[in-house]
Amino acid sequence: MPDDETVKSHEFEARIARGEKIEPGDWMPDAYRAQLIRMIGQHAHSEVVGMLPEGAWLDMAPSLRRKQILIAKVQDEAGHGQYLYHAAETLGASRDEMTAALLAGKAKYSSVFNYPTLTWADVGMIGWLVDGAAIRNQLMLAQCSYGPYSRAMVRICSEETFHHKQGREMIIIYASGTPSQRHMAQDALDRWWWPALMMLGPHDADSPNTPQLVAWGIKTKTNDQVRQEFINEHVPELRAAGLRIPDPDMYQDANGDWRHGAIDWDEFWAVVRGNGQCNVERLAARQKAHDDGLWVREALDAFAAKQAAGEASL
Amino acid sequence: MTDQSTSAPQVGASRSGSPKELGTVEQAALIEQLTALADDELLLGHRNAEWTGHAPILEEDIALANLAQDEIGHAIAWYGLRSALDGSDPDRLVYFRDAPQFLNSWLAELPRGDWAFTMRRQCLFATYDAELLSRPALSSYLPLAHAAVKIGREELFHLRHSSMWLERLAHGTAESRRRLALALASAWPLLPQLLAPMPGTLDLHAAGIWPQPDELREAVVARARAALSQVGLGAGPLLPTAGLTSHRGTHPAHLDELLERLQSVARADPEATHW
Amino acid sequence: MSRWEVFKQDAAGKPHQAVGSVHAADPQHALVTAAHVFARRPAAHSLWVTRAAAIYSRTAEELAAESQAAGAPTEGQAPVSFEVFCKSTHRRSMTFVEHVATIEAATPAAALALAGAATSDDSRALAWWVVPTAAITASAPTDAASWFDPAKDKTYKQQALYGAAPSRAAKRGAG
Repeated sequence: MPDDETVKSHEFEARIARGEKIEPGDWMPDAYRAQLIRMIGQHAHSEVVGMLPEGAWLDMAPSLRRKQILIAKVQDEAGHGQYLYHAAETLGASRDEMTAALLAGKAKYSSVFNYPTLTWADVGMIGWLVDGAAIRNQLMLAQCSYGPYSRAMVRICSEETFHHKQGREMIIIYASGTPSQRHMAQDALDRWWWPALMMLGPHDADSPNTPQLVAWGIKTKTNDQVRQEFINEHVPELRAAGLRIPDPDMYQDANGDWRHGAIDWDEFWAVVRGNGQCNVERLAARQKAHDDGLWVREALDAFAAKQAAGEASL
Repeated sequence: MTDQSTSAPQVGASRSGSPKELGTVEQAALIEQLTALADDELLLGHRNAEWTGHAPILEEDIALANLAQDEIGHAIAWYGLRSALDGSDPDRLVYFRDAPQFLNSWLAELPRGDWAFTMRRQCLFATYDAELLSRPALSSYLPLAHAAVKIGREELFHLRHSSMWLERLAHGTAESRRRLALALASAWPLLPQLLAPMPGTLDLHAAGIWPQPDELREAVVARARAALSQVGLGAGPLLPTAGLTSHRGTHPAHLDELLERLQSVARADPEATHW
Repeated sequence: MSRWEVFKQDAAGKPHQAVGSVHAADPQHALVTAAHVFARRPAAHSLWVTRAAAIYSRTAEELAAESQAAGAPTEGQAPVSFEVFCKSTHRRSMTFVEHVATIEAATPAAALALAGAATSDDSRALAWWVVPTAAITASAPTDAASWFDPAKDKTYKQQALYGAAPSRAAKRGAG
């Protein structure tokens, strides 16, 4: 590596260590730029695909208030994807290219969205657990060194708390509701507990990226640390709601930490690689939206061109 | 905060402040009218929400979701006004009535169609609301007046959004213009049924709390035609509505299918009162 | 379609702040879209949009590098109005640069230089955006009632209005 690059890299890491934000236009290592584009892109795709599992239940929301709330929540997923695509664009990525990569199966997104939503209570459980897990990650990422990503995360955090709270509100009602509602709540927990744990990433021993991401101020805690914090927060609340954690090996240790049983990582990797139940459906839905919308986007561009040329009578 | 916009509805002097001041005939007529308004907003919101996750641009997933939330909010407001009159539970009305008891317009229950149809339908409803909710008659019954102001200002933004889209589709490509023409051909003939008076509308007008239906209809149609001609489109003649009753309560095929999905979770557990 | 940067003014008297961008094809479309994306929760009083391509952008690091290179003076160009935005803190925020001045100058670089000279603490200026005033499309003051105010009433999506996890007993009581 040329001396100039090495000096610049050290200065770069010193800036980060001083708590400075890196803004578009500042010098950055190529690997930092590439890593961020990949991370932010995956995060954006997760939000966009994440509209679909709960979006499927919009039609069936069982009260006017729940319908309004769910529309707002799914809307926020779109909004979060939107803020994140913006952050990636400041690094030189294009939304069209990122979308193409997603639809071609070349870009990853959070595997948690490849599980099906089988009942109405899944909507509540996703809000409580999946968004609860996401918040922990997002709070950490809000501190990251890259300005646009940090800002997107701060905005997302301010909106995500509502997701978490509305999900928890729903499940607590169902867990002490009619027999049918109680059954639905427990069944949803049985199916979403482990995917939520796995969403926080592989065990530290299996996460080679982490030290570099820490040096770049992108990650401040390890996966296992965040996972433990998540469990410690949620287990007491779920139990207080009258629900049973679907982990027969779970126990509370002398420090008060709730220790979980072994995670089935085979299932995680199968879902990540595309063998989850909904991978095909989710991407097909996004492809269809993209294809069906082509004539609309073309009309917008044609109008704008005419307007710019002074041709359209407005 | 003072309302600076001259086109938003104003709260006028109220003559009837409480439901008790309406006679039984007027009350019954108002209950039906409110139900019709609420049912239209419910179905419009339901259809618009179907676009979430499937819109042509990510920004429009966000936009249509705003419209849908507003519409569900409007439905909640109108059902709420009905509830003040007869003690009905809005959720019970929405989830446990059968199709013949719904008083929505035919235009509201059609499937969402393509983007051109959704924007066309949005524009027609927003035009109707902009005219209806700014009529002074509505401001003389206080509960209606408050709802009219709040809903009216949101409908102005809906009108802006959908008009902007119609302009771009009309002047975009040959394909967008073709689809817009098809959308108009589907929606325009249904306008009379949306605007036709209900059995009790003239009683409400006589009580001074509802605009004259023929005048309202003419204003809406004129405004809609003007908007069309601004983008170089024309629409054919409408069926005359003098003497036409609204036939609300009859439905083309779509409502059954819509309700089956909308009501499925609630009806699967009718004992549940808390969702 | 292209990217349009969005500036939101939360209340009268406060500066317009860069909040993000939208994809749109023309100015009016960009403005309405910006309202949908960035004003769906309070607070908003006014929105500005401008094509991303119209923005002259410099970070403190870029300016320091440029000042070491010879700069060609601009001569004979008529002054144009520019809106100047600045970021002056590393503190975590959801907004980037905020409006600090309207400046007449021959070029964006000249406007930036004038703005930098005018601020008393310009060593804290971390990033600048300079936009021709003519390139900005703004919401109308009369738009606020229908575009922005309704968001205040949408409490169902504001997290502050949701309580802490209620106890089961409290929930049964509410029945």
